[in-house]
Amino acid sequence: MKRVYLSFLLVIICLMSSEANAGWQDRLNNLLVPDSKERKILSGATQVMSSSQEMSYATERTVGESLALESMQRFGKPVNNEALQKYVNLVGNSVARNSRRSTIPYQFVVLESQVQNAFAAPGGVIFISRALLGILENEAELAAVLAHEIGHVAEKHALKSIRRAQFLQGVGTISAATMKGSEGKKFESMIGDLQATLFDKGLDKGMEFEADLAALETAYRTGYDPSAMIGVLQKLKKLQGADAKKGSWFSTHPPLDERISRLSSNMDKYPDHGALAKLPGRFAKYVKATK
Amino acid sequence: MKRIGASLMLLLVLCAVPALSAEKRWVVSDGTALKAEQSISAASIADLAVGAELTLVEAAGRWLKVQTADGKEGWVYAGRVSDTAPVAEVAGGDGLFGDSMQKSQINTAKADSARSIRGLSPEVAQYAKQRGTPEGLKKELDKILLRKVTDREVKAFLKEGEIGEYAH
Repeated sequence: MKRVYLSFLLVIICLMSSEANAGWQDRLNNLLVPDSKERKILSGATQVMSSSQEMSYATERTVGESLALESMQRFGKPVNNEALQKYVNLVGNSVARNSRRSTIPYQFVVLESQVQNAFAAPGGVIFISRALLGILENEAELAAVLAHEIGHVAEKHALKSIRRAQFLQGVGTISAATMKGSEGKKFESMIGDLQATLFDKGLDKGMEFEADLAALETAYRTGYDPSAMIGVLQKLKKLQGADAKKGSWFSTHPPLDERISRLSSNMDKYPDHGALAKLPGRFAKYVKATK
Repeated sequence: MKRIGASLMLLLVLCAVPALSAEKRWVVSDGTALKAEQSISAASIADLAVGAELTLVEAAGRWLKVQTADGKEGWVYAGRVSDTAPVAEVAGGDGLFGDSMQKSQINTAKADSARSIRGLSPEVAQYAKQRGTPEGLKKELDKILLRKVTDREVKAFLKEGEIGEYAH
């Protein structure tokens, strides 16, 4: 009953807010088009109504930075090489500015870790291990891996995975003062849930495929050859048998064959991909030199 | 959901009129400019905000001729726009339903101001204190958050690599 009421209310609001606009009938027609802006606004509105609230960017950022601290505890400190860190940040920010979430700040960090992994904290702090960086061959491959992680941030995959956390059932905001009390306890527990999801269980299969496709799209938009994403997965596949460490992209992601075949079937959207940037030379200058 | 769908369908049937909908694109990339010609070095007609809606006039390879909502016509690099709208930001208030209708346009602009560079926030510092995070790691996070990449640096980086708009 509540939903019927809400949908009716929504329709009235839609009508009222666009009454002054001569194109309101067109807007209504657009609701039928699956990818239309009107449809997206409607689906956004219904999502907001069905969950009690959405997290603000400030809180999302606090979650992400707290998780970043735990990530470094677990996997290792950042590699002490400012030129390398800057280079990875330039590649990452180049693709981030063409992602579906281009206006938030992103930081990219190479961690001193022998596990081949990359992961994203909510809000835009993204990690790649030295071991994963070490098997890549060019800048387009690095761009693809970072674009995959940006895809998780853009779609808020980590937060969606832990939506049952007590913290998110409550007020859902945190300050330095409330961190000290019971909200802080719930917050800490939620960071624990996030670690379990990202590092042990892995995100939902569908989310990984979504991030893979986002990687193709974002890399392509920026001007990198999107097929580099497939190249990365093929390299991981070769290593899979010999070196499948816990917490790597092997153990927390869907089977590589499935990812490769899904990506390959989407490559016909990018017929000119072969002519786009790969940049093995610049990549080698910054990355291979530090091995 | 089914009921929402049904009530909307009814409304659409009542209101529907034949409408030719021109092909739309949305600005997705930050720092997008409307150009006078199909070139990165052409004069800029206007700066286009993330979330701005454009009407496609003509496609020519990696460049698209578009018209803005206020009637300006020019070229954008195809990589900077999408046929789906960008992710909307929730810029505070944690509002219930209130700011959802137009949040894409309004809040991406607000979130933009969040790109200011800062170190460890008081909330995260308090979290670290409670968790007994080693001082060294707090300093590392501070360093990560203070590492700055400007728009100008990104452009120079793309230009040096002859990537996207800068490809020959």
